[in-house]
Amino acid sequence: MKDIARQRMSIKVSTMDLLNDQIKMESHASASYLAMASWCEQNAFVQSAEFFYHQATEEREHMMKIFKFIADCGGNSLSPTVDNINHDFSNLEEVFETALDQEIEVTKSIYKILSVAKKEQDYLTENFLQWFIKEQLEEEKTFRDILDLFELMGRDGIALKFIDERIKTA
Amino acid sequence: MTKVYASKFYTLYQSDQDRRYYIDFGQKMVKFSFCQLLALRQKIYAVSIEDHFDSDLNKHGFEILILCNKEHLFLLNTFEVLDLMEMVKYSFSLLGISSEIPLTSS
Ligand SMILES: [Fe+2]
Ligand SMILES: [Fe+2]
Repeated sequence: MKDIARQRMSIKVSTMDLLNDQIKMESHASASYLAMASWCEQNAFVQSAEFFYHQATEEREHMMKIFKFIADCGGNSLSPTVDNINHDFSNLEEVFETALDQEIEVTKSIYKILSVAKKEQDYLTENFLQWFIKEQLEEEKTFRDILDLFELMGRDGIALKFIDERIKTA
Repeated sequence: MTKVYASKFYTLYQSDQDRRYYIDFGQKMVKFSFCQLLALRQKIYAVSIEDHFDSDLNKHGFEILILCNKEHLFLLNTFEVLDLMEMVKYSFSLLGISSEIPLTSS
């Protein structure tokens, strides 16, 4: 019997499933950052809004990276549905804290796929995920640094204005 | 054609000549490309089987499965859905691209 399945697809189906889940997660992150951008716009945090628009675009790029990887490997990429996007935040710090939590969840999820890929000897996926691991490290650091600003400058009206001015879009 | 796996109701075959897969559904034999077989797997895994045990969510316990770009339509009952899930799971392991079921080499 010819190994037709392997000829058609170079990753394992279980990693493909997890990568499809990750597509959903990146797409959810993108939509979630848009909601944060909207909140910042409404509350006149101009720099922060710009920052979240940029994050939203980045998450979509992450999604596309995985989408194309699955397709390049001969798998079936699934277009994600997104729901449960939170638009309500009590303050700017909460927005950034939620963002950090979201990034941490993404990191955990990437690690999970990596461990399955290792177990399955799916070296292609393992190699593909290296980029994401590095990216997650940077993303977490970005948000952690921003949250440090609140410790440093305080949380009253004028401090928040200063913090917003210091938010840079990479 | 080589038999890959047979569950209670279904049998998967691989044909090296036309590089296709064939599933014997009992009442008919359906030809699948590898991609279509992958899509079948995703569709059957997406079925929420718990709903079959809740008369509010799935009143009659049937599932409609549309396969191969709408070429075929199947109506499966709970037992058939579970059996097809199992067939797919074992088959992908036997095809060497999944280790959902650890197989002892023979
Ligand atoms: Fe991301
Ligand atoms: Fe991110």
